Amino acid sequence: MNKYLLRIVLVIIGGTVPALAQTYGTDNHQVTVQVSTITMVSVDISSISMTITGAGVPAGQDQMTATNTSSKLRWGVNSSSRKITAQTNLATPLFALNLLAVSPTQGTAAAEATLSTTAQDIMLNIGRSLGECTLQYTGIALASQGTGTDSHTITFTVTTQ
Amino acid sequence: MLKNIIYLLTLMVVLALPTQAQYMDVQGGNQVLSITTAAAGSEPTAVVNTSSNLRYRRQTFVITKVTVSTSCPGQNFTLKVYASTIQNNGGTAAPEVTLTNGMLATDFITGIPRFSNQWRTATLRYTASATFAQGNSAELGNEVHTVTYTLVAQ
Repeated sequence: MNKYLLRIVLVIIGGTVPALAQTYGTDNHQVTVQVSTITMVSVDISSISMTITGAGVPAGQDQMTATNTSSKLRWGVNSSSRKITAQTNLATPLFALNLLAVSPTQGTAAAEATLSTTAQDIMLNIGRSLGECTLQYTGIALASQGTGTDSHTITFTVTTQ
Repeated sequence: MLKNIIYLLTLMVVLALPTQAQYMDVQGGNQVLSITTAAAGSEPTAVVNTSSNLRYRRQTFVITKVTVSTSCPGQNFTLKVYASTIQNNGGTAAPEVTLTNGMLATDFITGIPRFSNQWRTATLRYTASATFAQGNSAELGNEVHTVTYTLVAQ
């Protein structure tokens, strides 16, 4: 009888040990990750005002300027080879308005541009990045141009470089 | 003679135990997670999917666990999985697992009790995320993971 029980115990142990390292079941499924083309561009301040007063301009100098760096441009682009352009809706401004991207966290700032109704490069090489820059606006008036007010609506666009 | 028969039957039962109740399946079919938006100044918004479940049962002498692994050649984006809402005392969820192509099998649910033939169900909570720097599917193609779950001895 003892021999009989011993045999059963050995069989149980022998059957259990392989089970410790065994795979009991497996299954799989497919999980697809899709990432859409996402392009996001925004300006943090919706309206700014600049006044050219001529204060500090030496006597005899025709050109007067005012500068504003209070707003930032932010973008998020997950496509390659992209740039940002800017243009104004004001076809015939009385005074020149220049724009320069300052201290970009990604990409390369383009040269300072005088805004017109034609899109002009502001930021280059921003493909696949999340970044921001300061917008430096400079209003330029000549004494000979007299007084007046220009109201611009400026549009920033991410486009293929 | 009777002893030999009992001996043989015992042997058959014991050898059958590891495979008797082996069963595991993924319910809910294949899943698609689409990342489509981003808030201003932030990376694209992560997407969560809880539409599939893992069902498993085991009747054995040993405590078991579930591991997870994936195959996804050319992976660019991030996919994580977590066992949420484990029912019927079906073990303990491991920390969220980041699924990486070619990864070793990683603990997903541990401490599944022995001697129970109950079905256990865990909700598969997938989270997909991507940065702007990682690009998009139009340029890089969709990313298809074959995610494999395996029930093994712990």
